[in-house]
Amino acid sequence: MVLLSAPRWLRSRLTDRFWRVQEVLKYARHFRGRKNRCYKLAVRSVRRAFVKSTKARREKKRFLRALWITRIEAASLEHGLKYPAFISNLLKSQVELNRKVIADLAIYEPKTFKSLAALAQRRRQEGFLAALGDGKEPEGIFSRIVHHY
Amino acid sequence: VAKTSLTSPPWPEVKLPDPVEEAKYHAEVVQKVNKMIAMGQYGRLFAVVHFASKQWKITSEDLIMMDNVLEAECGDRIRMEKVLLVGADDFTLIGRPLLGKDLVRVEATVIEKTESWPKINMRFWKRHNYQRKKIIVNPQTVLRINTIEIFPCLS
Repeated sequence: MVLLSAPRWLRSRLTDRFWRVQEVLKYARHFRGRKNRCYKLAVRSVRRAFVKSTKARREKKRFLRALWITRIEAASLEHGLKYPAFISNLLKSQVELNRKVIADLAIYEPKTFKSLAALAQRRRQEGFLAALGDGKEPEGIFSRIVHHY
Repeated sequence: VAKTSLTSPPWPEVKLPDPVEEAKYHAEVVQKVNKMIAMGQYGRLFAVVHFASKQWKITSEDLIMMDNVLEAECGDRIRMEKVLLVGADDFTLIGRPLLGKDLVRVEATVIEKTESWPKINMRFWKRHNYQRKKIIVNPQTVLRINTIEIFPCLS
């Protein structure tokens, strides 16, 4: 005869509950308070920790770029240039170094940074002269002074 | 004409040095640097190299780790061609934007190709019964920069 349902003495019992719990607790061992020991509290903390680390990986890039910019600004002010002037003139002279490398140069290679600042300053002055032009008035326009009496 | 706030530009007046004299001075400096490179009067060279879509400031004998696969076996020598800047103690050569291949030579060797530590990517919306967990393992390559050489072909 064919038995269609399993008899009642055959049960499926969980045998590796310990290891399943350890998998979560191992990430919580360095936390403070009961959440490093108690599974129910640890699950919530570990979940939040993972989510925060995922979001932080995206914000780390923004944070580091702001740090580099602050450092470059400080270094260029030591040489008498502001950050927007420095960066824009470096780009206009076709020097394509990124902010990470310029910040490293400002820390470890001060002479090189000084030469970059001098290059940017010179390009800035050439830009001013080019903006002034000849100093003549455009054709077809005359200017006169009006006297109000 | 009366002086107003717009007669003169807001920046202080600048005078550039004489172009002829400047060209002479530039040629002198270039010759001096060329001689220094030819005599070998420089200590440790550093270079800024564009590699794996990142810029690295490197010297000889240092290690670089990139977060991707390189199609070269372990122990292969690689020449890095996009050099943006080379410098020593007394002079720097700045490329606009790159330096010539006949001027600088940067050699590196592939040391190891491994995988990164397992990074956990988790998304969770509270009160919506939504959570996704993904383990990301990136392939990594470690390079050792062997030498940076410069040749005296400035003009």
